[in-house]
Amino acid sequence: MRRFSWFNATSIALGFAFLYIPILLLVIYSFNESKLVTVWGGWSTKWYASLLQNEGLLNAAWVTLRVAILSSTLATILGTLAAIVLVRAGRFPGRTLFSGLIFAPLVMPEVITGLSMLLLFVALNMDRGFWTVVIAHATFSMCFAAVVVQARLYDFDKSVEEAAMDLGATQIQTFLQVTLPIIAPSVISAWLLSFTLSLDDLVIASFATGPGATTLPMKIYSQVRLGVTPEINAISTIMIGLVTIGVLVASYSTKRASQQQERELKAVDAGAK
Amino acid sequence: MSEAALSSSPTGASRSPLRTAAPQSGFAPWKDPSKTPMVRFENVVKRFGDFVAVKDCTLDIYEREFFALLGPSGCGKTTLLRMLAGFEKPTSGRILVAGQDITELAPYDRPVNMMFQSYALFPHMTVEQNIGFGLKQDGMPKDQIAQRVEETMAMLELSKFGKRKPHQLSGGQQQRVALARAIAKKPRIVLLDEPLGALDKRLRQTAQFELMGIQERTGTTFIIVTHDQEEAMTVSSRIAVMDHGEFVQIATPGDIYEAPNSRYTANFIGDVNLFEGKVVNVAGGFAEIDWGPGLARFKAVAPEGCAGQQQVWLALRPEKIHIDLDKPTDASNALPGKVVDVGYLGSISHYHVELANGQRVKALRTNSSRTVDRPISWEDKVWLQWPAETGIVLAK
Amino acid sequence: MRRWLLISVPYLWLLVFFLIPFFIVFKISLSDIATAIPPYTPVFDFSMGIGEFISKLDFENYRFIFNDSLYVNSYFSALKIAGISTVLTLLVAYPIAYGMARAPKEWQPTLVMLVILPFWTSFLIRVYAWIGILKKEGLLNLFLMNLGVISEPLTIMNTPLAVYIGIIYSYLPFMILPLYASLEKINPALLEAAADLGSPPWKSFWQVTFPLSLPGVLAGCFLVFIPATGEFVIPDLLGGSDTLMIGKTLWGEFFGNRDWPVASAVAVVLLLVLVIPIVMFQSNQEKEREAAR
Repeated sequence: MRRFSWFNATSIALGFAFLYIPILLLVIYSFNESKLVTVWGGWSTKWYASLLQNEGLLNAAWVTLRVAILSSTLATILGTLAAIVLVRAGRFPGRTLFSGLIFAPLVMPEVITGLSMLLLFVALNMDRGFWTVVIAHATFSMCFAAVVVQARLYDFDKSVEEAAMDLGATQIQTFLQVTLPIIAPSVISAWLLSFTLSLDDLVIASFATGPGATTLPMKIYSQVRLGVTPEINAISTIMIGLVTIGVLVASYSTKRASQQQERELKAVDAGAK
Repeated sequence: MSEAALSSSPTGASRSPLRTAAPQSGFAPWKDPSKTPMVRFENVVKRFGDFVAVKDCTLDIYEREFFALLGPSGCGKTTLLRMLAGFEKPTSGRILVAGQDITELAPYDRPVNMMFQSYALFPHMTVEQNIGFGLKQDGMPKDQIAQRVEETMAMLELSKFGKRKPHQLSGGQQQRVALARAIAKKPRIVLLDEPLGALDKRLRQTAQFELMGIQERTGTTFIIVTHDQEEAMTVSSRIAVMDHGEFVQIATPGDIYEAPNSRYTANFIGDVNLFEGKVVNVAGGFAEIDWGPGLARFKAVAPEGCAGQQQVWLALRPEKIHIDLDKPTDASNALPGKVVDVGYLGSISHYHVELANGQRVKALRTNSSRTVDRPISWEDKVWLQWPAETGIVLAK
Repeated sequence: MRRWLLISVPYLWLLVFFLIPFFIVFKISLSDIATAIPPYTPVFDFSMGIGEFISKLDFENYRFIFNDSLYVNSYFSALKIAGISTVLTLLVAYPIAYGMARAPKEWQPTLVMLVILPFWTSFLIRVYAWIGILKKEGLLNLFLMNLGVISEPLTIMNTPLAVYIGIIYSYLPFMILPLYASLEKINPALLEAAADLGSPPWKSFWQVTFPLSLPGVLAGCFLVFIPATGEFVIPDLLGGSDTLMIGKTLWGEFFGNRDWPVASAVAVVLLLVLVIPIVMFQSNQEKEREAAR
């Protein structure tokens, strides 16, 4: 039985303090009565109320949400396909280039990705706006999605698929009825990851967007440049809250699903004895 | 036996790899009260929370012994070994090496080296670097390390693989590297934790003899932990049979087999038939055992302190039972039965014989001639017989 | 047939939306600025022949970048800041990852989750949070002055130090996770074996633990260094006008000066600078995957 040694416990505690204290302060000061960040003027929710009056911010939030849903869905489909190609398609001409194209966006500075996307849209004479942001987000998110799904496919027992085909399922039936349910948790986390990547992105959206499609991070960025205001703290708190709830619900439900599975397995074991 | 007598006695010859389970005559330092044990466990207890892994164990192991800790998984044998290596601290009690208390010493300050069950070879180092690792820690000069590594590799036929990494080796080669690393420092004691568990059966047997050869050539004390009774019987000078954190019996392989002290040991080592009964009469060193109404009483050598009306078990090894179609005329013990199962294994045959009361008895017969006039077969009515000296009366 | 369909969908998407744009960036970096929309001379003018097309290309923008100290300094400063913050991130992350890998098994999933969680919240917001802490009348100065550690507020905001803090903070999970993954894989028996052979714990760390965590160290360093070099948000919000970083310069060139060709040339050079670490990163990952099988 392993326990925390004092050294390990201290380094973990300090590390997590460093990770969480800034966020915690941000959340606390969103409830500050005073407009000055450093002066605590008592608890208040007035900045949340004033958010509801800010039509520009609300519009931007609505655009961001739609972009995020569309782009993450697209990214998940493309990323899952890409992961299957990487793990299952074997050798094919251009495979090295393909895996390079999957991994490069993960580390590529956003300014480069954003600029190149923009220039493509201009060269193709596409009207920049909502849809160009969706495409841009889908493109870089699909690589993250591919990596997440790929990791699951690697430790997937291939003989399960072979068994399905041996029992007469076609390739497509096998994929839909066997492969997909098994990799489903990773596909869901790929979607969630793509969703938050899109929700958070400032740089690529700034390049790819056009008039009429201002996203929330763009809006926040332009206000932040003017200074720290409790209103931004408030909207940040809402975004943090939503994402935290989403992640916790997702991880809780996958955990419950696996616990359920374990219980069923135990029941089967007990029945066999 | 004095120290001088020990070193001059031909221990090597008596412990040749071809030695059978019979007890060796020359080497028995545990019978000499004047000798200081190499390892002494003194009332050692180890608890993990509520779980007691080792219960008050006291044990002496002597120089040059090949000592086996034998038992099922969870019996505490590995914990005992890990306490000797220093990875676990006893909850109470002391551990002494050559008379010196090492209970509080850190693992890296102890004169023992261990061969790990998973081998625990350093994956980022070559075979040479693995073997030389312990020598480097002692600050041995580089040229001496190289020389010692070379000697050790030669001893284990690893010279060709010095520059390879562990993952480029077969299982058998990895096992030899792990052993080489453990003996490279010439420690006083080498600990082996299920050292051959990962090998297949054929390789295992070869490796067992190799282990014995190495132990003999280096003259080091080896302590092996195993759950494989055949392995323990083959390699060791003495065996400690363990169960639930306690020693059940500590004896030579021959004594453990021929004179088990309990049903547990008799069952754990080899095959055995057990008959439950009651001592009704003790006379002339023999006990008469009643094991059921209407059944012929058994006659067996009475153990010390055996008294009337005591509940006992008679343990009988299958190869000690003679199986025949005809009723024997002058046997101390004879039982009629019916053959229900025959297993032909080439050199020997197994017979399962059902007695009148329904109990089944296993018997062995060597197939010494190529043709038997009439082989014993299914449904045959047979007679089982054995002399009074072969059955063992067990009180627990 | 079906296999090719499967391969071609994601492949074509990435070719069209990721690879081809780089060629366009390169092409435009060779053209001239124009006061029009789009603000550069056309890329694809199919009316002219190949010879004429090639003769129109010139490297004027690149000459311009390399002769202007602003760009050269931006590159070097970005590499320096990214390099230093990568090392600092490694130093901060290693004890955390080590502690996590040695934590009780039942705790580990929760700890990993807690490392990932901040990564899900907006990058922009997390950088923003530091403004309130680091600025002159911010919470850190307030805290330290109340404690009596300092009498004058420290100037951290708008200095390279603020950028280091921002990068360490934002990229910490990228360093912790690969480190944790490789530390967690180390068989504890290896450390017992080292101890058994006479190596005390601090020596075992350097002889066994650290060498075996090198793949994680490398992966983490690449994951921090490469994006940090092109980082825009952190130097822009925390670094002030004095902190030069190439990502910020590129942004200014594009959105401020609206000089798309020069911005493209800046991007091409940045890409060339990063191509070596990117390729190294990828081969490191491939090697790990091969080893894992």
